[in-house]
Amino acid sequence: MPTDTKRVRGPEVSQSPSLFLPDGRQRDQVDVRPVFVRCGLVSQAKGSAYIEAGNTKLMCCVYGPKETERKDETDMKCGRLTTDMRFAPFSCPERGSWIQGSQDKDFSLMLQESLQPAVCLHKYPRSQIEVNVMVLENSGSVLAHAVTCASLALADAGIEMYDLVLGCSIRQDGASYVVDPTYTEQNSCSSVSSENQGGLTVAFLPSLNQISGLQSDGEMTEETLTAGVRTCIEGCYKLYPVVQQALTKAVRRAALPPPES
Amino acid sequence: MIGSVCVTQSPVSPSFLLHFRTAEPLEYHRSFLKENCRPDGRELSEFRTTTLNIGSISTADGSALVKVGNTTVICGIKAELANPTVEAPGKGYIVPNVDLPPLCSSRFRPGPPGEQAQAASQFIADVIESSEVIQTEDLCIERGKLCWVLYCDMMCLDYDGNVLDACVVALLAALKNTQLPEVTVNTETCTPGVTLEKRHGLRINKHPVATSFCIFDDSILIVDPTAEEESLATAQLTVVTDEEDRLYSLHKPGGTSLSGQKLQECISRATARQREIQKLINKVIHSVKTAQ
Amino acid sequence: MATVQVSEAEKVYILHGIRDDLRVDGRGCEDYRHMEIETDVVSNTDGSAKITLGHTAVLVGIKAEIGKPRPMVPDEGYLEFFVDCSANATPEFEGRGGEELGTELSNTLYKVFNNKRSVDLKSLCISEGEHCWVLYVDVLLLQCDGNLYDAISIAIKAALFNTKIPRVQISADDEGGKEIELSDDPYDCMRLNVENVPCIVTLCKVGHRHVVDATLQEKACSVASLIISVTHKGTVTCTRKVGGGSLDPESIFEMTEAGKRVGKALHTPLMKLLQEEESRGA
Repeated sequence: MPTDTKRVRGPEVSQSPSLFLPDGRQRDQVDVRPVFVRCGLVSQAKGSAYIEAGNTKLMCCVYGPKETERKDETDMKCGRLTTDMRFAPFSCPERGSWIQGSQDKDFSLMLQESLQPAVCLHKYPRSQIEVNVMVLENSGSVLAHAVTCASLALADAGIEMYDLVLGCSIRQDGASYVVDPTYTEQNSCSSVSSENQGGLTVAFLPSLNQISGLQSDGEMTEETLTAGVRTCIEGCYKLYPVVQQALTKAVRRAALPPPES
Repeated sequence: MIGSVCVTQSPVSPSFLLHFRTAEPLEYHRSFLKENCRPDGRELSEFRTTTLNIGSISTADGSALVKVGNTTVICGIKAELANPTVEAPGKGYIVPNVDLPPLCSSRFRPGPPGEQAQAASQFIADVIESSEVIQTEDLCIERGKLCWVLYCDMMCLDYDGNVLDACVVALLAALKNTQLPEVTVNTETCTPGVTLEKRHGLRINKHPVATSFCIFDDSILIVDPTAEEESLATAQLTVVTDEEDRLYSLHKPGGTSLSGQKLQECISRATARQREIQKLINKVIHSVKTAQ
Repeated sequence: MATVQVSEAEKVYILHGIRDDLRVDGRGCEDYRHMEIETDVVSNTDGSAKITLGHTAVLVGIKAEIGKPRPMVPDEGYLEFFVDCSANATPEFEGRGGEELGTELSNTLYKVFNNKRSVDLKSLCISEGEHCWVLYVDVLLLQCDGNLYDAISIAIKAALFNTKIPRVQISADDEGGKEIELSDDPYDCMRLNVENVPCIVTLCKVGHRHVVDATLQEKACSVASLIISVTHKGTVTCTRKVGGGSLDPESIFEMTEAGKRVGKALHTPLMKLLQEEESRGA
């Protein structure tokens, strides 16, 4: 492996102390976690948003529209939406790597596919809109919250959209499920039978009643999956007023004349 | 000259000021500096409001969020176990890295760290090493066998100039916030055992604080520059001092020259700033403790 | 991904055809194209298969190597996926062009196999915490003519069926250390149970209906597809919406139902075919 000369390096290998913990992980509560949302906090970005759900904390900045970088595949009629989702090295219980792994790329792609149907890209020909998401603390359901946060940041940037995009995740564990699972809930399975074990994330456009992103893994029957999608849509509707409020607040703040300094 | 028009003729329309700022940024700044003030209303030696929040990231072993005006830096510390090097069997590691992600400003590209991030990481590493803010001997658990690695990742979330100062404050506050779990090494099997409930803080020996300056037109000295001021300045200077006024670093990467007298001014401003920051950190740590 | 340009008139033609359950090549909405499967095609792998579906051609090779189990699951082996988009398949893959698609495909494969029953990972363990079998699943795209996901998943199932892992003996030496010995007999090998390995069904939403095994022309008429991986029992191991459009919740439910039906029906003839080929080879 080539050595990384661009960073201050540590030892070749080091291990998380949690590997040496005695067994018996605790399970958290199963309630939907309270959400805190705010728009427009990064001075340098066109639009930005911060979301906190339980201990999951992430922020998103939107830059652009600006001229596309990749000239070769420029679509004359349509703009391009690029997404980049990254995890801060300290965001997970296990320390992450500095280099963007394939998991981050997968998240970026799913984020892009979930947001694209909502953005009026035909209004921005030959330009690109950059969406950057940074996960500061991963306490589960990051993709779902990243979708919500990114759509808020896009709206805050004044990018024309058909609708907001809201994200919601569930974790199916046997017959029971948890909405908006925490990190431990996402990665543990208590029941011995492996029937119906899995995770599901839905991105939803609430006023158009359209699903723009759907992703599941694990093992589920078709009935469980269908019920799960319905639960996620319900979860998105619960989020809707909070998100709307944050957006109205940001617009009001922007409309006010700047305070005399 | 347009600059003089702007200052003397008043009132001027806000849109005129905005266009003036975009078209002639240097003239715009000069017109303010001439009157010993800055576009954001500060005096030349005035810092922006600095706020500090510690321990907000529960997945990190220690964390701090610092805002200097708009500039925001978050520092998270993760502790892991490793083998000490053969050359220094009684020492642990501190691995500081500054990240300037594309999120914080449109000037940064995704991918590996750029020049500025690399320089900042090295600067922080030098400050840690020369100030011995933590004795790496304290990070040793079992000589030659097991030690702690402190990965200190400083991430800029909003880039509006003067990241170095913000990074040092974030790092210092995060280190003060760090709680390491107790580790015992089983003498028979040589495997470590970790008790997460029993945690202890780090011993912080020194409190280094960085203070950055910009030099305008080879002569005017301003403190705590914004991103715009940084890009227009002819030279930059960062001074690092601690509570006993020891000087750890004088970082002046190129640019125009500076007289010895001016440098002395910078150092005395830096020592004053060190007091302010240490007071702020102590106050925030105290308020967090009483809140618990 | 490989794309084709389709004119408005062609689009209307395809759309109207699909509305009446009649596709350009004469198929119904839930029919696959002609499929050919061949196993044991690459001699220096432990298992391999080649599949052609229409003009889409995929080659899968599986290599078994001894590795260290993951610290969180010390009693299981694991699978590694790599998808190589060769420039042979389409000129778009030249240079680094295929990299993005390759990661996308391999990431989805990890999700498809991210459950306890698709492959019995415990049987890949040699000695707990120390040694296990790692199956490197290498997928090579030879030609792209739509519906990559389905073709790849079927090829992987066939290649896993074909995989022969050498038997190993663990013997303890005098100092209590362990030694691993590979069996000399090439026929003394372990086979994997592939009964529960899922197959992916991609449903392409075209107009108000959805089609299975879409050609590139049909894909150009669609804004969004749903991929769904189904086991022979009808259990869903992975779903994912791909493409730039959005879908109505109701049509998602319809598509999952159809996906399950089509996927379930795919397994029986596939297993029969594989077993026939195996007996012919022996």
